[in-house]
Amino acid sequence: MKLLLMGMNHRSAPLEVREQLTIEDPVPALRKLTACDEIDEAVLLSTCNRVEVVVLTRDAESARLRLRSLFRRDLGDAALGDREVDGYCYVYRDGEAMRHVLRVASALDSMVVGEPQILGQTKQAYRSAVESGASGPILDRLFQHAFATAKRVRTDTRIAEGPTSVARVAVGLARQIFEDLRGKHALMIGAGEMIELALEALRKEGLESIRVANRTAERAAELAVRFDASAHGLGELPNLLADADVVLTSIGGSRPILTPELMRSALRERPGRPVFVIDIGVPRNADPQIDSLAEVFRYDLDDLASVASSNADGRRQELVRAEAIVGEEQQRFEGWFAALRAVPTIKHLRAQVEAIRLRELERALPRLALDDGAREGVEALTRAIVNKILHAPLSRLRREAEREEGMAYLEIARLLFGLDDDPERTEEPDDR
Amino acid sequence: MTALLLQLTALLYLAAGLLAGAALVVSHDRLSRVAVWGLGLGALLHALTFSALHSGAATPPLTSGPLAVSFMSWVGTLTFLALLWRFRLLGLVALVAPLSFLGVFYAALSPPGAVQTDLGGGSLPHAHVLLASAGLALLGIAGVAGAAFLAEHGRLKRKRHLARPAPWPSLEALDRVNALSLAVGFPLLTLGVVTGALWVRAIHGTPWTGTAHEIWCLVAWAIYAVLVALRFGVGQGARRSALSALGGFVFASFAVIGVELLQ
Repeated sequence: MKLLLMGMNHRSAPLEVREQLTIEDPVPALRKLTACDEIDEAVLLSTCNRVEVVVLTRDAESARLRLRSLFRRDLGDAALGDREVDGYCYVYRDGEAMRHVLRVASALDSMVVGEPQILGQTKQAYRSAVESGASGPILDRLFQHAFATAKRVRTDTRIAEGPTSVARVAVGLARQIFEDLRGKHALMIGAGEMIELALEALRKEGLESIRVANRTAERAAELAVRFDASAHGLGELPNLLADADVVLTSIGGSRPILTPELMRSALRERPGRPVFVIDIGVPRNADPQIDSLAEVFRYDLDDLASVASSNADGRRQELVRAEAIVGEEQQRFEGWFAALRAVPTIKHLRAQVEAIRLRELERALPRLALDDGAREGVEALTRAIVNKILHAPLSRLRREAEREEGMAYLEIARLLFGLDDDPERTEEPDDR
Repeated sequence: MTALLLQLTALLYLAAGLLAGAALVVSHDRLSRVAVWGLGLGALLHALTFSALHSGAATPPLTSGPLAVSFMSWVGTLTFLALLWRFRLLGLVALVAPLSFLGVFYAALSPPGAVQTDLGGGSLPHAHVLLASAGLALLGIAGVAGAAFLAEHGRLKRKRHLARPAPWPSLEALDRVNALSLAVGFPLLTLGVVTGALWVRAIHGTPWTGTAHEIWCLVAWAIYAVLVALRFGVGQGARRSALSALGGFVFASFAVIGVELLQ
């Protein structure tokens, strides 16, 4: 069995490519994948910064081609070309794939290293795979291991300290434009999780006012009550923008809502005052052409990535410690995964010995003429003898299978016990 | 004594500028603060220099070009230190301190014999030099803030190196410093021009003799008058204001100092 991971993230692909892969519901893609013969298990993770599929396969090359076709045609609204898939997607196999999953869950591969959201997003992706029947025992184990690793990284290192959300990074960037955020007006467009996190971050900055504009007024109102903001509909955007110093947008939709015309008309109402626009929507909510307006400072996820990586530089020592933990946990999982190679041999050996035990009991019991109680005692006795004899060699086989060199033990076991031979020919001579 | 004090002042300004530059490179707030202390100490020594000038002559010989430039540096430094109380401008020490150094260094290098003390017009020459120098110093601060604004605006727009050096000021702070310096500097410059005209009239009987200095200075004042009208009357944008402040100061420096030197 092989593990294979194909994906695209904020480092491998620019936002204009990533925004073409927006997945509302991963289940259809997962069902399609697991319906293929070569794929046994699959999990699909889709966030604003990454789309990744990890599969368990018996034929890695066929699975790779299958994933490539999935990225080309079945993820998102627009089809990607061969060049885009080959140029922007990465493929990891076995150990590398395991390591990547552990790093992603631990937020070491995140745009903002140490951010807490990715763990929840990974858990959600795993839950979807379990509910759709796409995950199985191996990926179950991998993801449970990844969650445990993430917890260990978070508790054993200080990686989660400092600006660990896009909103915190945005606040840092805002300070390069504004002397003080106190007295400034903020406008949040959207009412999703990212906006909620941003509201939490901005609440501490002493802004003069915060407005939430959303398509669904109820959700905006709900957030507004929680964060002492005011709720508005998207129709009010022209008026709201005229008064907004900080605009943070993360709302669904295939077309930008902050157009040059809209921004130009807002700027006319606020001459000489800069507007700081943070666009964390995927696809983008702000048209990049608004950059041409001198007073507009627009940053999208890719722009924030450079700031975030500089912030991470300050925590390099913690990063090294976190990577070491991931390395240890990867080794542990690799050992478990490799030990799976011993499973067919162990099962075969157990089945063969059990067959011998049952056959011998079948021969001996009629001659002994035992009552039911004694018969059960003899059965239990033979089972215990078999288990005790097999315990040490089977444990050894499992341990040795975790190492590449341990394969020789499996070979010898198969040879000694004739596990590859024809069962008819390995029937031991009748000693009666 | 005065020459030694000027040299020491120049040395302190230079050291402050170098420290502030290093603080920007290594993004070190504390080093920037040390540079501010160096600049403050330089300003104190600079004040002692003027005090020594006062004690050496009944009327301080500020009407010599180099000493007027030195005075301009001092006012500029003091203004900047005062602005530091209100705005986060630590990073600007790297620009202000070298300019202060150049002003003092120019005075320290100039021969003391060039000083004229009896210029006629009573206290008008000194009022003219003090007001015009103070005005130019503030407009210089506006120009420095404008240059820093343009650099910062370009960096933020290009979206390169967004993790800026920690002590560098925000765009908003630079724009406010620009506006404030222009708002105070222009009236001082205007008073400098008026006292200059009164001085010329006291000597020649007419406020206008048509010298190159008068022509260039009047043009510089007119340019600033337009800039002030654009900034506070029309509501010119921050970027254009920064560009105007920088251009205005370059022109004014040439009009006041450059033309004198060329003559």
